[in-house]
Amino acid sequence: MTTNRITVVLSQTRSKNPAKRRLEEEIATALLLEPGIDFAVTPNVYDLSPGDTGLLYLNSVKGHLILLSWQYPRAAHWLLDRNGINGKQGVTLLKSVGEEDDEESGGADEDEYRGIGPVELLDRYIFCLDLRAYDDAGVYVEEIKRIAKDVSVKLVPLTGLRTDSDQNESKPNLFQRFSEPEKQGAGPIVLGESKVNRWYPVIDYSRCTNCLECIDFCLFGVYGIDHKERILVENQDNCKRGCPACSRVCPENAIIFPEHKTPAIAGAPGEGPGGLKIDLSKLFGAPSAIEMAAMERDIELVKDGRAAVGLAVGIPRRQTGKAATEKDDLDKLMDELDSLEL
Amino acid sequence: MGLAAQKHVIVIRNHFLVELMSDHFIFLMGKYEAQVPKDRLYAPNHMWFRAEGGAYRVGFTAFAVRLLQDVYFLDWNVEPGDVVVAKQEIGEVESSKAVSTLHAPTDGTLIRFNRELMKDPTAINVDNYGAGWLFDFDPKDALLLSAEDYIRRLEGTWDETQRQIKGQMND
Repeated sequence: MTTNRITVVLSQTRSKNPAKRRLEEEIATALLLEPGIDFAVTPNVYDLSPGDTGLLYLNSVKGHLILLSWQYPRAAHWLLDRNGINGKQGVTLLKSVGEEDDEESGGADEDEYRGIGPVELLDRYIFCLDLRAYDDAGVYVEEIKRIAKDVSVKLVPLTGLRTDSDQNESKPNLFQRFSEPEKQGAGPIVLGESKVNRWYPVIDYSRCTNCLECIDFCLFGVYGIDHKERILVENQDNCKRGCPACSRVCPENAIIFPEHKTPAIAGAPGEGPGGLKIDLSKLFGAPSAIEMAAMERDIELVKDGRAAVGLAVGIPRRQTGKAATEKDDLDKLMDELDSLEL
Repeated sequence: MGLAAQKHVIVIRNHFLVELMSDHFIFLMGKYEAQVPKDRLYAPNHMWFRAEGGAYRVGFTAFAVRLLQDVYFLDWNVEPGDVVVAKQEIGEVESSKAVSTLHAPTDGTLIRFNRELMKDPTAINVDNYGAGWLFDFDPKDALLLSAEDYIRRLEGTWDETQRQIKGQMND
């Protein structure tokens, strides 16, 4: 092992939001000049097709990797895993969006999950940083430098890595382009191409218990089973745009739609989007998660010219709710609501 | 004049007051008196419906607003003209006490949203039965509740509602 170079890949936003674009550019500008760091830009990794240059590049990186993306780190990590880019989850000091300062970092909590885990993990670290969390490019650049320093001094045993020879075959060509920016005009080159905004589930195998409820529930053939009888997203393009129904059905909250607006579905740490505030959605007519999932599925079935099935097919049978909490005095309740200063 | 000047209050069970000759019912949430005007109809998801030009104007009831308290943010994820089904998610609300999704009260067509609330949602707190209306809606074969039916429903579900809220706060 001659080097502990770290590769940083920035996965661009789909959005035209100038503030987001500016943050990307500022980070890119800073990192292109940073010694010891290989830097590349791709379109939103979620949108890349198999065989795309961006994915080929990511696959060619066998050393430590930092991915900057506009997604929850959990979503980004398992999105990479889905594309064969895996490694141990590195711990970042940065928060993801919505994480409070006084909360513990998400990493430790993940140990509580009893998922089947990923397969054939490369012995390296992958750090996913959430670009939605800070406006200041400097915060990311500093954290990247910290991680780069950290992994180089730790001398992590990088057995299992087929790195240098592989890397040398595939990477220099790409990097020549970065190192000679004057030939290419201003700014970094974007590796890969996103033709469409895609939509499909990503499985978090640290949580997935292989219960197969999703395969029973989805009537569009998105899910399948691999040769080890593990659940996988087999036909991702069968998935119906905007429909996150299987994610609601999953008892472990292991199915992520990285671009969904609901944090719990988009891969936020923890169980749900609740936080400290109470959720009155049920009072305002929200169906239960299962009802909601069936409704979303029906809408897609009808669009496909098939019959709606409601709750008749593929609905998991589980024990319903815990025992209701003890009745309490109304005034006390309202007082407590009032004292919940937020 | 005699009767109208007097205030006859009848208490039914614990939380439900009827003022004779008044234009509204009152539902007691602790000491808070949530008014339920008699001049309109209601959906079980705590929205009022007032007939207006062949459709209905819809807003939050005082009961809903009391639970929400100060509304900070309101967002819709359907468009004017969209056909929606009952319980379909149509938007979200964030307030000082709660963050919640909002759902279609019945099957129907969403005609327009109250654009003033997009700039500043405080009208929901200041005047929930008037300027704080949420949207105009054309319900499809909907069975809406009278003010009396709605308040009886509140009465019937209040204990459960408290348990739900309480349960979340104990998490």
